[in-house]
Amino acid sequence: MSEPFSYYSGIPTFEMMLGIALVAVLIFLIGMILNMKKWGGGSVKAFLSAFIKSATKEGHQSILTSVVLDILLQRRIIRRSPFRWVMHMLIFVGWGGMLVLSLIFALFEILHKIGIGSFDLNVVRSGFDTPNEVLGYLLLIGIIIAIIRRVALSEVSKRTQVFDWVLVLGILFITVTGFMAEGYRPDAVSAWTFLGADEALAQTLALFHVAISLLFCIAYIPFSKYMHMIAAPLTIIANGGGE
Amino acid sequence: MAEEKKAEEKQMPEIPKGEPSIKTDVIDPISLMQYDACTRCGECDNWCPTLDAMERDMNISPRDKISRWRSFMGKNYGLLAKLFGPKEIPEEDIQNFNDHLFHCTTCGVCGTVCPAGLNTIEMWEATRQQLVLRGNGPYGKQSLFPKLIGEMHNPYMKEQKDRLLWVPDDVEIADNADIAYFTGCTAGFNMQVLAVSTARVLNKLEVPFTMLGEDEWCCGSALIRTGQPHIGDTPRQAAIHNVEALEAKGVKKVLFACAGCFRAATIDWPHLMGREPNFEVVHLADFLAEQIEHGKIKWENSLENKTITYHDPCHLGRHVGVFEGPRKVIKSMPGAKFVELERNRDLQRCCGAGGGVKAGIPDLALGVASGRIKDAMDVKADILSSACPFCRRNLGDGRNSVLGLETGDFNVRDSEENDMQVEDLIVLTAELMGLSTKTKSQTEE
Ligand code: SF4
Ligand code: SF4
Ligand code: SF4
Repeated sequence: MSEPFSYYSGIPTFEMMLGIALVAVLIFLIGMILNMKKWGGGSVKAFLSAFIKSATKEGHQSILTSVVLDILLQRRIIRRSPFRWVMHMLIFVGWGGMLVLSLIFALFEILHKIGIGSFDLNVVRSGFDTPNEVLGYLLLIGIIIAIIRRVALSEVSKRTQVFDWVLVLGILFITVTGFMAEGYRPDAVSAWTFLGADEALAQTLALFHVAISLLFCIAYIPFSKYMHMIAAPLTIIANGGGE
Repeated sequence: MAEEKKAEEKQMPEIPKGEPSIKTDVIDPISLMQYDACTRCGECDNWCPTLDAMERDMNISPRDKISRWRSFMGKNYGLLAKLFGPKEIPEEDIQNFNDHLFHCTTCGVCGTVCPAGLNTIEMWEATRQQLVLRGNGPYGKQSLFPKLIGEMHNPYMKEQKDRLLWVPDDVEIADNADIAYFTGCTAGFNMQVLAVSTARVLNKLEVPFTMLGEDEWCCGSALIRTGQPHIGDTPRQAAIHNVEALEAKGVKKVLFACAGCFRAATIDWPHLMGREPNFEVVHLADFLAEQIEHGKIKWENSLENKTITYHDPCHLGRHVGVFEGPRKVIKSMPGAKFVELERNRDLQRCCGAGGGVKAGIPDLALGVASGRIKDAMDVKADILSSACPFCRRNLGDGRNSVLGLETGDFNVRDSEENDMQVEDLIVLTAELMGLSTKTKSQTEE
């Protein structure tokens, strides 16, 4: 083996990961089209034109301001509850950050595959280790706070439904499998090395982790109540954001 | 629920098999998307005034209503519906949803606090309209609005020719002027103390003003808020009629003392007509604040160190953004000890009258108003002021209910023995300027 641990974004075969990603994105797009059709009274075009009209209405703050202050920094939440804001930001930054890092790394892998650029993918990958680890912990802390909140605060636990639990536990599961896949890697530098090195298990877990991440966090969203993850930012843009 | 209507009492539409139980054709795409945007955080439930007044009956929680309509949409238009056909929604569920949806004053605080920034007012109004079209809505006496407003141009069963009956002999109204006063049905027919106070203050300030008189039609707000704008196309016709009549008079500025009419003229009329009117729309509170800034108002009396607070009418504040003008007026009143209510400005608690609730579910309107009165008691207010005849009416009823007083004649100035006076800004202004607030009928007596 020229590259001793020949998986980069965590999976032995890059093609397999690409395949799953494409399927996930395709399912996601079909779901989005179905939703836009539903919102547009049967027509995607009707929805899109209503959306563009609303988002660009006179008097609205700029879309960039909405994206930065209202979607990325979620200032509407901080005004209501700084504690909830911290929880949201931990989850959001952790989850979003890892998604962005994965996309960047996938890009490196594609470049490497088609032979553009001369870089050692193992070196690039190890550069991603620490940020990934830090983001993973942010996400984990955020989820643990969310779970404690759901259990400990009576007004939150009273209105918690099954699907709320599916969401938090689902993300917790994905996060933990990610840490485990990392921990089993023979070249791991993570705190999870206590699991012991097992390349075969690491590869299987990594594939499993990426597959459920893509399917649960991307493909499933438009078909579930988690659609708010897409519809809420779109709503903020359509309504011109603001405090 | 006080006036729970049973599904079977209503004329339910026959839904052919395989057809969706609900339609969404009058709900705009953005509102439909917003039903999917709710994160179910429950923040709105912490603020909803009707939920508080109904002892937190979660059926009327905004979050719950969003979940239910979303689930209806999923059953009729979701992926499974696409694959296997729409699933039938039990009539009773739709009727119950309708009734709960009408237990709402369209105050909009749920949207203000929503982290996802949902424009709930538009969602509620459009969904109400969809349910009215379906035969489920509106609720109770709200169903009288289309006939009354459509035929008589006011909701109080009064004759158009009586529009100016309130005008006392001492009041001067110009045939033509740069400024018009749009009286509105409530001040013109029922709360005439506001109309006479407004007219006398403007006269005293030597601001010539004109009025539409018999040509003034109800602003249409009650129909829009209760999901009945399509019946007879009345609100649109009213918007066109009023705007064209005011434009024909050549006025440059139109003054409104009613929050409901002001909201209609600022937001609903341009929306219905597809254009802005050729005049400026100004609420009287802002106009008075401007007069104070220019040193035009000369106070002659004092509030004698009374504690006065201010209830932001939701249709004036949260809906349009007028918050500071009324405060400036109150703070400039001699002898006024101004205190804020704990919930103020865009987070205010509604008086309970809006969204057709006063007409449709009076018990609920009273319950919400009582909550607002308690807010004012918490800050030990001697006077609870507002800037809307409808708020004044409902808060007055709430005050009487909390203090165990008889429901009074609200054209009469609040009696001095009341522990808490509920009074409109313009009436207080007139009194402190040394003007009479007696209505024509009181003067004649
Ligand atoms: S508009 Fe006001 S009354 Fe209606 S649901 Fe929202 S908060 Fe409650
Ligand atoms: S505040 Fe907004 S996102 Fe939260 S439950 Fe209410 S409507 Fe949904
Ligand atoms: S009467 Fe006043 S507080 Fe009540 S709904 Fe109307 S504007 Fe809002």
